[in-house]
Amino acid sequence: MKFRPKQANGDVNVPKTHPLVEMAWLAGGLALIIASIYLFLTFLTGWIVAVLPVEAEVWIGKKILQNDPGMPCEPLQKRLNDLVDYLPQDSPLRKYQFSVRVVDSNLVNAVALPGGTIVVFSKLLKEINSENELSMILAHELGHYAHRDHLKRLGKGLIFGAASWFIFRDSSQPLLMPFVVVMDARYSQAQEEKADLWGLELLNKRYGHVGGAVDFFQRLLEKKDVGKLTHFLASHPHPKKRIEKLVSTARNKGYPIGKTEPIGEDIKEFLEKCCSKPLPKSED
Amino acid sequence: MSDFLLQNINLILPIFLLILGYTAGSIAERRHYRSIERREQEFLALPAVTLRDVESSEEVSGQLVIGNVVISIDYFKRALAILRNIFGGRVASYESLVDRARREAILRMKEEAAKAGAHIVVNMRIETSSIGQSANRKKQIGSVEAIAYGTALIKQV
Repeated sequence: MKFRPKQANGDVNVPKTHPLVEMAWLAGGLALIIASIYLFLTFLTGWIVAVLPVEAEVWIGKKILQNDPGMPCEPLQKRLNDLVDYLPQDSPLRKYQFSVRVVDSNLVNAVALPGGTIVVFSKLLKEINSENELSMILAHELGHYAHRDHLKRLGKGLIFGAASWFIFRDSSQPLLMPFVVVMDARYSQAQEEKADLWGLELLNKRYGHVGGAVDFFQRLLEKKDVGKLTHFLASHPHPKKRIEKLVSTARNKGYPIGKTEPIGEDIKEFLEKCCSKPLPKSED
Repeated sequence: MSDFLLQNINLILPIFLLILGYTAGSIAERRHYRSIERREQEFLALPAVTLRDVESSEEVSGQLVIGNVVISIDYFKRALAILRNIFGGRVASYESLVDRARREAILRMKEEAAKAGAHIVVNMRIETSSIGQSANRKKQIGSVEAIAYGTALIKQV
């Protein structure tokens, strides 16, 4: 018998499934699992935060913040205290000892830290034109305390980081990031919107009208042409969306729109005294 | 737009690398398979077998022939394998690499044998080397390596 060489069919060792189909299945499955874990953790932290007493929060805040950031600001503290006075007597927010601190920075932002410390960045303070705008911003931050957003964020960050580390042995797993970034941004934007509406209500109580509530966002909108796409993943909603929501809520609830009061001299003096040194330029 | 790209670089870079890895990897794989199939047909008359003892009525001399190959994984295949590592099962994305590496190593060995004028390669063995043992580990380059070697029998005239 003569040997006849024959080409063997090499296909047995090559997978039949298309790699894109496999990728879709695996990535889809992983996304589903992560989404479920994310939702579960959101629910869990929401529940824990709801039952966590303010005293415990203050204790956590002190543990996290060894030193208070920035400098105390008497004029802002006065305005915050004024706002707190307008809260109902049984408001849980009355259990906090709120303090406002100013950090000299180019960021146009304010942050609510666990325990009752509100940090306002000096650039934001410089951008403000009226007392009403300032009160709206402080009331917005109080809104975060009312909904305990800062705690939810902190708790979820901790648990999710731990879970990610447990599964992947790495808390910065790049495969995980896209899902978390998108979900977190959506969640954060929803929180900001709720804090806006809560702040609006307090502003109405404080001044008897909601004039100046949207002025700051209006200027932000005019100053920078911020794309919708950029804001899909941002922590705050698009200024235009915020204005629309605030205006429609004010209209629905029948809040009057009154005249705004120009910003007090004490704030200007504070800025001149404490935050007058030039800061390095930044994107913000 | 540039702002958006810069802000979300952590998100966009992996997606970009996935697309690049898939496109470049698929093109390279398809071309490689075409070349492998063509050359396998070419060397069909030069068999490579694993037999150790070959009896021959003619006088032959033996010569060691070696073929080796290193094929890198691409970003897409790696991502697919990482996902596979979570769920378990066949790491299909690496299987085609192993197949390519093995066939390419044999072909290169056959090429060398053909140059020496051999009519058959006996006692063929395939081994893997270990440059790419770190495959799948973070910040390490993964690759598949195969070495095929055997004894080329050349008829003495």
